[in-house]
Amino acid sequence: MNQEILDQLKETFLFRGAPEQTLKALIENGALRRFPAGTVLMREGEEGSSLFLIHEGSVKIVTADSKGDELIINTCGPGEIIGEMALLDRAPRSATVVAIADVDALELQQDAFQELLHQRPDLTMDLIRAFSSRLRFSTTYIQKAIEWTQSIAAGDYSVLEDGPVVSVARTVEDKAGQLLSEFFKMAKNVKAREDELREKLEKLSLEIDEARRKQEFEEITGSDFYANLKAQAQALRAKRRDQ
Amino acid sequence: MGKIVSIHSFRGGTGKSNTTANLAAQAALADKRVGVVDTDIQSPGIHVLFGLDETKMGKTLNDFLHGKCSIAEVAYSVGEKAADSPGRRKLAGKNLWLFPSSIRGREITQILREGYDVNRLNEGLQAMMRELSLDYLLIDTHPGLNEETLLSIAISDILIIILRPDNQDFQGTAVTVDIARSLDVPNLLLMVNKAVPGKYDYDDLKKQIEDTFKAPLAGILPLNFELADNGSRDLFSLVRPEHEWSKGLRGVAEAILALK
Repeated sequence: MNQEILDQLKETFLFRGAPEQTLKALIENGALRRFPAGTVLMREGEEGSSLFLIHEGSVKIVTADSKGDELIINTCGPGEIIGEMALLDRAPRSATVVAIADVDALELQQDAFQELLHQRPDLTMDLIRAFSSRLRFSTTYIQKAIEWTQSIAAGDYSVLEDGPVVSVARTVEDKAGQLLSEFFKMAKNVKAREDELREKLEKLSLEIDEARRKQEFEEITGSDFYANLKAQAQALRAKRRDQ
Repeated sequence: MGKIVSIHSFRGGTGKSNTTANLAAQAALADKRVGVVDTDIQSPGIHVLFGLDETKMGKTLNDFLHGKCSIAEVAYSVGEKAADSPGRRKLAGKNLWLFPSSIRGREITQILREGYDVNRLNEGLQAMMRELSLDYLLIDTHPGLNEETLLSIAISDILIIILRPDNQDFQGTAVTVDIARSLDVPNLLLMVNKAVPGKYDYDDLKKQIEDTFKAPLAGILPLNFELADNGSRDLFSLVRPEHEWSKGLRGVAEAILALK
């Protein structure tokens, strides 16, 4: 089982590239825990002091919406890390995590983790790189998302034609992509509704009675007054053109 | 040489006076020297929007055209005098003059009988434009196609036809467009006013109008209850510049200023 966990750790954004010895020490310092379906792994608002690597099973990350109903933000499965920000700070958990199937997870306490950092300073640099690379990635995505949102808000939907499509988030990085994908799905729906609405707009059919048009024109232009006016207007325009 | 711009609609109630006054204000804001001929001083019209009290009107454009007074006695400088309301205040220091006139159907027939012809009217207006170095002289014509209106169209460099999106206005506009072509008006611009917001497919409307009349549509302006109310008796596009009507109006003003 430890070998399987080791393999999973190697694939996480946080520990990708870390020496095997370090990862083994990480597992030894952590605790393997089992959470039956329905168990709460962490609760929104509580102080966080550990991270979890999900070995088996899956969890839902939930928060309460404005009405107090449960709102599922995301689901995570084997090989995914949750609560990693607790390694750096002791800020309150930003969401509640509940097991939706029996979960086997490696829990790593902040204290144990920091102890490990003292022993293996090289891990510190790897972690900084991992966090900063994700931050850079997020910033780029946010910047892009701002640009796209602005153009869509202005009624320009052309970005939808070549927008990203990410169906399932497999890695942490994918989650930013997934958010964008959802955003694009939403924008496409909005556009479809707008198009439908436009179809429903009244199309006026311009109707002109050509016989009446001709008759009225002839009534006006048939008078001596008009003949005189037209001759003078022609002379006037010729004069203006020459000026 | 300044341009004579006639603003016309086949039927009444298209918002012609408000459009004319606001177009003049926008041109003046763009630092053009602008004159407006108010052809209807009897009814509350353009002069009210510019803050001119009809009881204070003395000499009219007719007196000038007949050589009875100087243009200075007729011209009412909006930029100098009418800073009495939030909208008009923005025109302070701008070059915008109002010329009250009493050219009405019957009088013009009389003038024509007396031998007062197109050339004399044109020369009178041109002299006035020269004297004030006007870039644009806007004429708010009467609805329909009476002799006075035909005279205005005949001397116009630009004709703006305002119509509402209904078949009666389309029919009348068709005849007006034919007349304008017959009188060799060099520039014809159409403008839709009082379109119920969100009711029509604007792109389709624009295409149909331009295809039918073979003239550019400079703007589709929404039905504007605040304007119809006109409780402020002010220039709407200056009071509410962010309103959709004002945006549309500025588009029309830009189309006029872009014409060579």
